[in-house]
Amino acid sequence: MTDTRFGGSSAGLMQRLRPTRVSVADLREVADAVLPTLATPRLRLGMVQRTGAGSVLVVEEDERQVRTGLHELADDMTRAGVRPTAAGIAQALTSWVAHRPVTDAAAAAAGIAVLDWADAQHTSVGWRVVVRRGDLALPWTPSTAAGPDELHRTRSAASSRAHDVELDLRVEGPVALWSHRDLAVLATSVLVDAERMLRRITAAGLEMPGMHVVVTPHRPVACAGPGIAARLAGESSEASVTLPRQDLPDLPWL
Amino acid sequence: MSAAHAGEPGPETLVPHWLAGEHRTELATAVRAALTGRAMHPVAAIHLEDVLTELHVAAARDAVWPASAARVRRATGWGADVLPVRLSAAERSSVLAVPGLPDAVRAQLGDGSAE
Repeated sequence: MTDTRFGGSSAGLMQRLRPTRVSVADLREVADAVLPTLATPRLRLGMVQRTGAGSVLVVEEDERQVRTGLHELADDMTRAGVRPTAAGIAQALTSWVAHRPVTDAAAAAAGIAVLDWADAQHTSVGWRVVVRRGDLALPWTPSTAAGPDELHRTRSAASSRAHDVELDLRVEGPVALWSHRDLAVLATSVLVDAERMLRRITAAGLEMPGMHVVVTPHRPVACAGPGIAARLAGESSEASVTLPRQDLPDLPWL
Repeated sequence: MSAAHAGEPGPETLVPHWLAGEHRTELATAVRAALTGRAMHPVAAIHLEDVLTELHVAAARDAVWPASAARVRRATGWGADVLPVRLSAAERSSVLAVPGLPDAVRAQLGDGSAE
């Protein structure tokens, strides 16, 4: 599996096959320079020297804390094919910080409801709150401190925000396709209100009795009648879930 | 979920025919002309309607899951507008019976491969 945490700084196939090592010393030097520029009053970034062990990079934001050994991070960067230059490592480290966990407060303030895989085998989907951070949309996993009321409020607000996501609608014969220009994962936000979605499809000139949706999280959403939806999904080797629009509100929250 | 998961009989096997945009357009034109131009056995007409549907579904499939067809195009050197159009044996037979089907399209459907 490709490690995407290090963003666009990763080199090509040759660099991944015969990687040049990202050294701990170089990573430490870059971290000293870069981390202060990324910190905010809520986001604390630093390095802690452990007795008899290497340094640990600590990322703290609200209730979230990530601690990673500098050696481990340098190895991960090497495996991901990060260019071992100061610029390459700085870009990878910035991307790694951007991929930090989403806090409960960020999810409550800016979460958007989308569908995501509910299992590792990609056989079922459920609702998930994601938060936009720069050009990323990151999933929120509720902290153990989040109570049922807070969960409910955050999820309800995320569903409301999903109504405001601007999506492109393309009509391809009997199939309606929804996609997001920048962040593919947001395409499924359209499914929070299936009736509204159907009205927009009808307004685009497509009648769709018995509408089914074909969902592959992080890909455009396809809507069609049941027979056509089955033809669409049944002939693809890619994982997807097809379900009638009435079933959408009953999908579980992840 | 697929029909197979629901315990229903599986759909008929569909075989991919890799057609460039130009050939898909010619195929659609010939099929539409056949459907409007003359009396036809209703079953053949249904198959041809399904072929028109498949031409759209093939494009939709590529919009949702572009990676697999892109891999084949890279491996074969085919153009970016070459897509797999998946037809059942009955649909393919109905298309091959269409008068005025351009020879280039007929050749593509004959052995299931692009040029």
